[in-house]
Amino acid sequence: MNRGLLAKSLRDVWFLTLLLGAGLGLAEALLARALPRVQEQIGEILSQLVFVQRILQALLGTNISGGLGPEMIGALAWVHPVVLALVWAHAIAYCTLVPAGEVDRGTIDMLLGLPVSRWQVYVAGAVVWLAAGVVLMLAAVIGHLIGCRLSAEGLRLDPRPLTMVVVNLFSLYVAVGGLAWLISTMSDRRGRSVGWVLAFVLASFLLNFLGQFWPLADRLSFLSLLHYYNPLSIIRSGRWPVGDILVLLGLGSVLWTVGGFVFARRDLSTL
Amino acid sequence: MVREGALSGFLGPNGAGKTTTIRVLLGLLRPTSGRASLFGLDCWRRSHRAKVEVGYLPGDLRLHPWMDGRQALRLFGAIRHRDLMVEGRRLAEEFNLDLRVKARQMSRGMRQKLGLILAMAHRPRLLILDEPTTALDPLMQEQLHGHLRELAAAGHTVFFSSHTLSEVEQLCDRVAIVREGRVIVDAGLDELRGRSRREVMIRWKGVVQAEQVPPPFLEVRRRDGQTWSGLLAGSPEDLLQWAAGRPIEDFSVGRPDLDTLFRGYYRQGGQAP
Repeated sequence: MNRGLLAKSLRDVWFLTLLLGAGLGLAEALLARALPRVQEQIGEILSQLVFVQRILQALLGTNISGGLGPEMIGALAWVHPVVLALVWAHAIAYCTLVPAGEVDRGTIDMLLGLPVSRWQVYVAGAVVWLAAGVVLMLAAVIGHLIGCRLSAEGLRLDPRPLTMVVVNLFSLYVAVGGLAWLISTMSDRRGRSVGWVLAFVLASFLLNFLGQFWPLADRLSFLSLLHYYNPLSIIRSGRWPVGDILVLLGLGSVLWTVGGFVFARRDLSTL
Repeated sequence: MVREGALSGFLGPNGAGKTTTIRVLLGLLRPTSGRASLFGLDCWRRSHRAKVEVGYLPGDLRLHPWMDGRQALRLFGAIRHRDLMVEGRRLAEEFNLDLRVKARQMSRGMRQKLGLILAMAHRPRLLILDEPTTALDPLMQEQLHGHLRELAAAGHTVFFSSHTLSEVEQLCDRVAIVREGRVIVDAGLDELRGRSRREVMIRWKGVVQAEQVPPPFLEVRRRDGQTWSGLLAGSPEDLLQWAAGRPIEDFSVGRPDLDTLFRGYYRQGGQAP
C-alpha cells in the first residue's frame, strides 16, 4: 500500500467526512432525543399525511397505520430520510472522485505521472472510503447514544441490535459507494457521475416506495437496495440480517471490482 | 527513439499529436497500434515501473486545490518513497516560488513553476515536459533553459514538446516533428540543417540586373525589387564562381533556421525542404 496515495485520499475526504459525520451524529442525537417524546403526535400527524406515512412504511418495511410502537420509533431513527441522505451523500461525493473527479479537474495527469499503477490509486481510494464509512457509522452511533442519554424516555436500543443495524447501514453505504465507483470509472465528468448514481439511488428508493401499493413494484422490490436494509426487522428479531448484509456487501464489492478493471483498462484524457 | 542524455524537442502545431504521444508514454492512453516503451518497459503494461525514473510536467497543469508547495513535495515524496524537500526547496529558491501558497491561489505561472519543481525534484533519468514554458516569463524561461542544459550535461534525458521553434532551436540536440500523429522527422538539428538546401539572398546593384535569369543551381523563390531570395541546389563554390564579377551589392548564404526547416518539412510531409 502506497502511503502517499493513502495520505492524498485522506486529504481529499477528511473535511467531507467531518462535515457529514457531524451532521449524521447530530441527526441521530436529535432523532434519539425527540422521537420518543413525539411518539403519540407522530401517529396523529401520519394519519393526516398519508404520503409521509407511505414513505415511512416503505422505509420501515411494515404497516404503521396502527401507530408507532417503541421498536418502530427505534428503527425510525435509522431509516429517517435525513440519515439515509447523509450516508448516501458521503458515498456518492467521495466515490465519484476517482477517476471522474480527478479527470474532471485535470489532476489525474499529475497523479498518474507518478510511479503508481491505476490499481494502487483505486485501492488506496477504497481503503480510505471504507475507513471514512466506519467513521461515519461511529459518528452516528455516538450521536445516537448522546441523544438517548439526553432523553429521559430515550430510545433504549440494546448494543447488540444497535450494532446489527449499524452494520446493515454500513453495508448499504458500501453498496451505494460501489455503484458510485463503477459509474465514476466509466465517466470523465464528476457531475455526470453524481447524477447517474443519484438517479439509481432514487430509483431504488422509488421502487421500494411504490411497492407499498403497486404489486408489480412489490415483486421487483428485490432490485431495490433498500429492500436489504431493515432496521425494524433486526430490532424485532434480534438476529443478524446475514443475507441482507451479504447481498449489499457482495453487490458493493462486485461493482467496485468491475470499476477497478474498467479504470485499469480505459484511456484517460483530460483534453 | 530518444537517445539517453539528449535534449530532445518534439515539434508540431496544435492537434498534431504531441500531447497524445506523451500520454501514451505515460500510460494514460493505450496505443491504437504499435508499442511505446520507456527504458525498455512497455508504457501500457509496466507504466508504473517505468515512471520511477521519469519526471513529468503536463501541458495544462492542474493541482489539487488544497495543496501548497510544501504539501505537494511531501506528498509526491511519499508516493515516490523519496525525500524531495531539500531539492524541492532549492529549486523553489532558484525559480523564486513561495512554497506556502495554496494551488488554488496560484497564478498559472506559479503553478507551472511548482509543476516543474515536482517533475525535477527527484532528479529523474528522463524528464518529459509538455510545453513547459508557455506560462513562464522570459527570465524564468531562460532560467529553465539553463537548468535543462545542466540536467542534460549531467546525463539526464530531457524530452519536451513545444511549438516555440526558437526555444527548441536554442536548446535541443535533436528534434522530432510530428504531423497528424506520425513522426515525420527525427534527427539531430545539425543533421536536419545538413539535409536541407542553403538559403541564399542576393541584392543586385540595380533593378535591371535583378531581372536576369538565375543559374540552374539556384531556385529563386522571391524577387523583391533588387533582391532575390531562394534556395541553393548546388554547392557554394558554384554560386561563388557564378557571382564573381557580377554587379552584386550584398550576398548571403546560410543554413535555414528551425522555423524554415519546420515549415518545409511540414509542407512536404517529411521530405527535406
